[in-house]
Amino acid sequence: MASQGLAYDGCNFFRQRLVLSTLSGKRVKISNIRSKDDNPGLRDFEASFIRLLDKVTNGSKIEINQTGTVLFYMPGLLHGGSVEHDCNMQRSVGYYLEALLMLAPFMKTSLKATLRGVTNDHTDPTIDMLKSTALPLMKKFGIDGEGFDLKVVKRGMAPGGGGEVFFSCPVRRTIRPVQLTDPGKIKRIRGVAYSVRVSPQMANRIVDSTRSVLNQFIPDIYIYTDHMKGANSGKSPGFGLTLVAETLNGSFLSAEMSSTPQGQGDPMLPEDLGRNCAKLLLEEVHRGGCVDSSNQSLTLLLMTLGQQDVSKVLLGPLSPYTIEFLRHIKDFFQIMFKIEVQKPSEDKRKGGDKVLMTCVGVGYSNINKTLK
Amino acid sequence: MKEKWYQEKTKKKNGPKAERKKLKKHGGPTEEDARKRNPKAFAVQSAVRMAKTFHRSQDMKTKKHHIPLVDRTPLEPPPIVIVVVGPPKVGKSTLIRCLIKNFTRQKLGDICGPVTIVSGKKRRLTFMECNNDINTMIDLAKVADLVLMLIDASFGFEMETFEFLNICQVHGFPRIMGVLTHLDSFKNNKVLRKTKKNLKHRFWTEVYQGAKLFYLSGMVYGEYQLQEVKNLGRFISVMKFRPLVWQTSHPYVLVDRMEDLTDPELVRTDPKCDRTVSLYGYLRGTHLKNKGQVHIPGVGDFQVADVNFLPDPCALPDAQKKRALNEKERLLYAPMAGVGGVVYDKDAVYIDLPASHVNQQQEMRPTTELVQSLIDTHATLDAKMAASKVSLFSGSATLEPEDIEKEGLQEESVWDPNTQRERRKVVFTTEDEEDVSGSSDDEDGDSEDSDQEDQGEDDGEKNLSTFLKEARAKCVETTKTGAGAPPVKRPKLEERKGESAEVPAFADSEDDLEVSEDEEESGGEEEAGRAGDSGHCSEEDEEESDDGEEESEGESGEDDVAADAAMKEKIASEEEEEEEEEEEEEEVEEEEELCCEFSILLFLSAGGLKWKEGLQQKASDAFLRQQQAAPNLRKRVYGSVVEVDDSEDEEQELGGLFRVSRPQNSKKFQANAVDSSRFSPDASHNWELEEMLNSIRDCFVTGKWDESQDAATLLKEDEEMYGDFEDLETGEVHKDHTGENDDDDDDQEESVVKVDDKEAMKNKRLEKKQRLKERFDSEYDDGDATYFDDLKEEMQKQAELNRAEFEDVDDETRVQYEGFRPGMYVRLEIPSLPCEFVTNFDPHYPIILGGLGSSEGNVGYLQMRLKKHRWYHRILKTRDPLILSLGWRRFQTMPLYHIEDHNGRHRLLKYTPQHMHCGASIWGPVTPQGTGFLAVQTVAGVKANFRIAATGVVLDLDKSVTVVKKLKLIGYPEKIFKNTSFIKGMFNTVLEVAKFEGASVRTVSGVRGQIKKALSTPAGAFRATFEDRLLMSDVVFLRSWFPVTIPQLYNPVTSLLLPVGQKDSWAGMRTLGQLKHDLGIRNKPNADSLYKPVVRAQRHFNRLQIPKELQKALPFKSKPKQLQPKGKTPRDLQRPSVIREPHEKKVAALLHALSTVHNYNRKKAHTLQHAKHKQFLQEKGKQEEAKLQRQKEARKKLYRAMGQADQKNQRSSLKGAPKDD
Repeated sequence: MASQGLAYDGCNFFRQRLVLSTLSGKRVKISNIRSKDDNPGLRDFEASFIRLLDKVTNGSKIEINQTGTVLFYMPGLLHGGSVEHDCNMQRSVGYYLEALLMLAPFMKTSLKATLRGVTNDHTDPTIDMLKSTALPLMKKFGIDGEGFDLKVVKRGMAPGGGGEVFFSCPVRRTIRPVQLTDPGKIKRIRGVAYSVRVSPQMANRIVDSTRSVLNQFIPDIYIYTDHMKGANSGKSPGFGLTLVAETLNGSFLSAEMSSTPQGQGDPMLPEDLGRNCAKLLLEEVHRGGCVDSSNQSLTLLLMTLGQQDVSKVLLGPLSPYTIEFLRHIKDFFQIMFKIEVQKPSEDKRKGGDKVLMTCVGVGYSNINKTLK
Repeated sequence: MKEKWYQEKTKKKNGPKAERKKLKKHGGPTEEDARKRNPKAFAVQSAVRMAKTFHRSQDMKTKKHHIPLVDRTPLEPPPIVIVVVGPPKVGKSTLIRCLIKNFTRQKLGDICGPVTIVSGKKRRLTFMECNNDINTMIDLAKVADLVLMLIDASFGFEMETFEFLNICQVHGFPRIMGVLTHLDSFKNNKVLRKTKKNLKHRFWTEVYQGAKLFYLSGMVYGEYQLQEVKNLGRFISVMKFRPLVWQTSHPYVLVDRMEDLTDPELVRTDPKCDRTVSLYGYLRGTHLKNKGQVHIPGVGDFQVADVNFLPDPCALPDAQKKRALNEKERLLYAPMAGVGGVVYDKDAVYIDLPASHVNQQQEMRPTTELVQSLIDTHATLDAKMAASKVSLFSGSATLEPEDIEKEGLQEESVWDPNTQRERRKVVFTTEDEEDVSGSSDDEDGDSEDSDQEDQGEDDGEKNLSTFLKEARAKCVETTKTGAGAPPVKRPKLEERKGESAEVPAFADSEDDLEVSEDEEESGGEEEAGRAGDSGHCSEEDEEESDDGEEESEGESGEDDVAADAAMKEKIASEEEEEEEEEEEEEEVEEEEELCCEFSILLFLSAGGLKWKEGLQQKASDAFLRQQQAAPNLRKRVYGSVVEVDDSEDEEQELGGLFRVSRPQNSKKFQANAVDSSRFSPDASHNWELEEMLNSIRDCFVTGKWDESQDAATLLKEDEEMYGDFEDLETGEVHKDHTGENDDDDDDQEESVVKVDDKEAMKNKRLEKKQRLKERFDSEYDDGDATYFDDLKEEMQKQAELNRAEFEDVDDETRVQYEGFRPGMYVRLEIPSLPCEFVTNFDPHYPIILGGLGSSEGNVGYLQMRLKKHRWYHRILKTRDPLILSLGWRRFQTMPLYHIEDHNGRHRLLKYTPQHMHCGASIWGPVTPQGTGFLAVQTVAGVKANFRIAATGVVLDLDKSVTVVKKLKLIGYPEKIFKNTSFIKGMFNTVLEVAKFEGASVRTVSGVRGQIKKALSTPAGAFRATFEDRLLMSDVVFLRSWFPVTIPQLYNPVTSLLLPVGQKDSWAGMRTLGQLKHDLGIRNKPNADSLYKPVVRAQRHFNRLQIPKELQKALPFKSKPKQLQPKGKTPRDLQRPSVIREPHEKKVAALLHALSTVHNYNRKKAHTLQHAKHKQFLQEKGKQEEAKLQRQKEARKKLYRAMGQADQKNQRSSLKGAPKDD
């Protein structure tokens, strides 16, 4: 009598599928994973992700064929508790943490996860960014309280890694519906310029160049410099910057950039990095919305899993990742979003088109939490 | 209405109460007066008491608070489900019949299945009779809104009543109204009154104090009395309901119509084949998502293939301002009861009412979509055409239909002998019609069908596409070579037609998407059947657009400025474009209707060759539109991208062994791309440019603010509001200067428009007043707003938002967003139902479709709190199968009972405790925590006893269990050293021992120890240390806990699949006791466990041995005496006894007598002597005393003299020597 399964092709949006499968309890079968590739099958980082999923769940059934091109996943129940995981170095901790952020509020016991690996890299949102944007976002959905925390214990840059992140999240039974339709104006910009195993002066150079760009808009800019030393500095040198713009209504837009990993490509000047990152932030502001582009899917998921009430959120243009996520939400939860494009009027200089997403939650309740 | 009537009826005419009322009315003495008259009586007597009463009243107030919930009741709620229950022959069917007659003036013969009626302007009722099968009772208790509980007063309560009440309690408590029948069987009025009272109070203890119990006093011609039924109907129609947790969180349908859709041929060939069935009913509870999972109690879990909503067969009357319903509006809908003739065809809903009923609701929906769409078009084709305007080229004037007719083509009526109808043939004036062979009718049909894009085109279209390709190729050539021709927008149609073929990478895929969307929007309303597939946007479109993106990115990289300009232009001409697109769409339809040939020719003749003009701009335009999420974003997101085109994917095979490995196409590439949530920035934005920077200036607090939020305006507003005021006492008006200025400004404006002058002023003032009032209200209310009030307000807001959000969206789209909402009449198609469901269908049994949540279709371990029902006469045994009713489901499972120890351990119990909760773990369907359940041992037949064995609630769900049972391992000492012993017999291998190293053990006598290490021989023996030396006779225990596995039995009760008449005879797995009873097996008990008479053996103790050393040391008294009995003296040592002669006897007697006398005399003398001596001693003592006295006196005298002499001497010595000396 187990519920029906879903089938997908290819390894893209791998996390989305497994996370939604776990939350909805529907089985999923992913076939043709890099089947035409010279190196077919699942990569190490994906295997590591599956292992992490196995650690936080109870009773999951995972079957992978010999070449690793077909994955069958029958989700168990989210268990939580204390979890330690050595993440694969191919992807940063953000890759794993993004999925954990989606799962953590629905565990049986509150999650206390220690993730080790690369904390900052190019492909995934870094820890600093998730800490400054995803956490306040989740608070709006009622996921808050004692022990909702994300800490960078050690910083590790790609490719060597050696970072450590501690994430803890309380458990919720239901998620509140939200109405995030007005982002408000940006009142301040904060940021973290980090550097490890390089001269501490790098961070200062980044800060200066960033300010030179952003000062045209707002004077309230403060960029912290974070230079970690010794055991806390991981195994590879590198530096980077995370910028967060906070609006009056408490939404956060962020942009980030990190130096090219050691021995991969041309090295980057900290000044360039600062300037480019500031431009990225401007781009993000141009896109606008109440949620920044990398957290779109998290927002939409939490809206979907809300009570059977209308939730609204104003987003910037949907990223391809989000578009696929919406399709997956439709597959797993039969929820369709009402998508309305809001065009800014001519005289208002508020960036590009916005998208107003509206949905009615599925009325999800955390079936893992124990009733006392 | 009811209350008023009731009041009138029960108004007291006389008596003390009425008197008091009268007094009150005429302004008699009130409480206030009493206070004044007798202030002492109202004074505070006791502060403690006052505090107590206050405390209590506050408590009561707080108790009334419920957690505020968001009101999610739909605007047009589904009919209220009224379940009529009661034991057999109590008058259930009669009551339903009477009520139906009361509401609709119609007589219904056999009540089977749900009967829906319109009872009032805003209320519909669904009656359902509940028979006495416990399955039915359980199912109906879950869907009931109101329960009419019939009780035979002449008999009293029956078990069914209590069973049903208990079922209700577990599954959320619907409203329950008792109805006493058979009251006419009482001859004695006093007995009747007493019975009523008794029954009422018993009923109150079960339901709640003051629960309504209705009396139906007697029958008239086989029906209940008209007035009483009317009253009951009134009660029902004004009743209010409380939302129940399970019902409000799950969609459900009480099926009132069932149809078998299976192919009759298939059924003929294989009568046992699985059936496809469509089920109809009102959707209740919450929103139902399409393609969800449902559970049909009594059948099983099923996947819904499709859901449609149908026009309401029993609709509420239109809003009219009148009090009662007229005859036409009193609808009755009961297909299962066969009201008149019910016709079963796919989408038809017929109710054939008697001839007196004018309103025969009959709505036929043809099966073919073509005809349907034709029916559903609201405007005629001509009207539509007349209204539409076609613009063939951008910037050109729109063409009116008349123009077209004049210019291009005319229609001609042609009688087609094949189809036997008149056809509108298109006649071209300018072109010759060589290729019109693909008659316009074909095209017509195609365009009407929704699947032009996805499904195969007919030949005409194929021709068209190839033709287009050629044409386009030509175009490319010409533009490459040729000079810039005047920019002409190419007609949209050809692209639309050609999209299934290959399209240049930069093609603006916008339009076709647009078209399909629009089409859906317009067509969607009309065609219910077509609603499901929103997949007009095919895979290719997606790819296309992606390609387009890439391409344009490259290009726009070259020329960013152009792109920017294009964007601006786009924004400016947006609305225009939209209009255009609409028109184009119209054009498309029209032209398709006319003839496709036309477009081709047009394309050739007009602008086809010049479309390349401004290509770059177009590309960037397209790209921008995608980026800016054009109105068809929804299409882009939810297009049928998931569908994989297999034919394309299939690899070419060469001889079956080798495969041609092609480079991965774009889709594949996407499927295996990097999985990252990062959204790469738009390359077209150059943040070096001032323009770009300016575009986001207002996003910052430093930028320009909105009118409403700008500090300056806000300040001004405040001044306006508070600047001038009127002193009410004096009537003075204080004016503010700024306000005046403002007014002046206004005046200037007003001078321009003088007509609106006064009105504007008035409005302004009104507005101001409103604002002031609002501000005052908010300030005033904030004073005593509690947390509770805030919460309530929040919920209220949410409810309003929920209502308002999708209000203006048409149903077809709305259903996609929020699912089917409760109150809709829906049709669910369910494939692969077992054939027994259809063949053994009995409308008397309710069919319920219970929607399941996202993960409620899975099975797992459930931990529950359970209590044996106190009316159930036996305790329950662990691992005995039990039938549970949990959520929607009824199933048999094998629970393990356990109890939680103080350290949180779940210890297995063999039986449920008598009067206590215990835990129960089962293998069953995942159901949210907090869901109540009930358990019965069997659902078959009727028993005299109370059938509900246990009730409880789900606590936890998991995929593993933690129930343990106690396990004692026993070992014996093999060798004993001082405190160390070797223990054997506890384990079998070294490995087992290794697992238990460090475990604590103990002996029966209580000596504690620890396992140290395994020994090599014998296997399983180990070394252990103890706190004391063991004895060989000791037994060593290892106390441990062994995890118990729960048997994975989940057996849904499939009672609906049983043959008609045997539906209440479902038997599942038997309990152990039943099995043994049936098979005649008697368990052989363990001999050791049997009770035997206690025989106590006599105990013998050994002699006490005292060591010799100790003996020596003991005092004689404690020394063991040598008390050996004398042995027998040997015969030779035995002396012969003396036998005396008579003389000797005499002598001896005499001697004896003499000696006696002598002895007596001597004794007497001795006592005398003794007394004399005593006296003498007394004498002597006295003398001695006297002597001592004398001596004492003498000594005293002497010492005194000596003392005096001494004193004298001393005095003299002090004086000095005598002179004499």
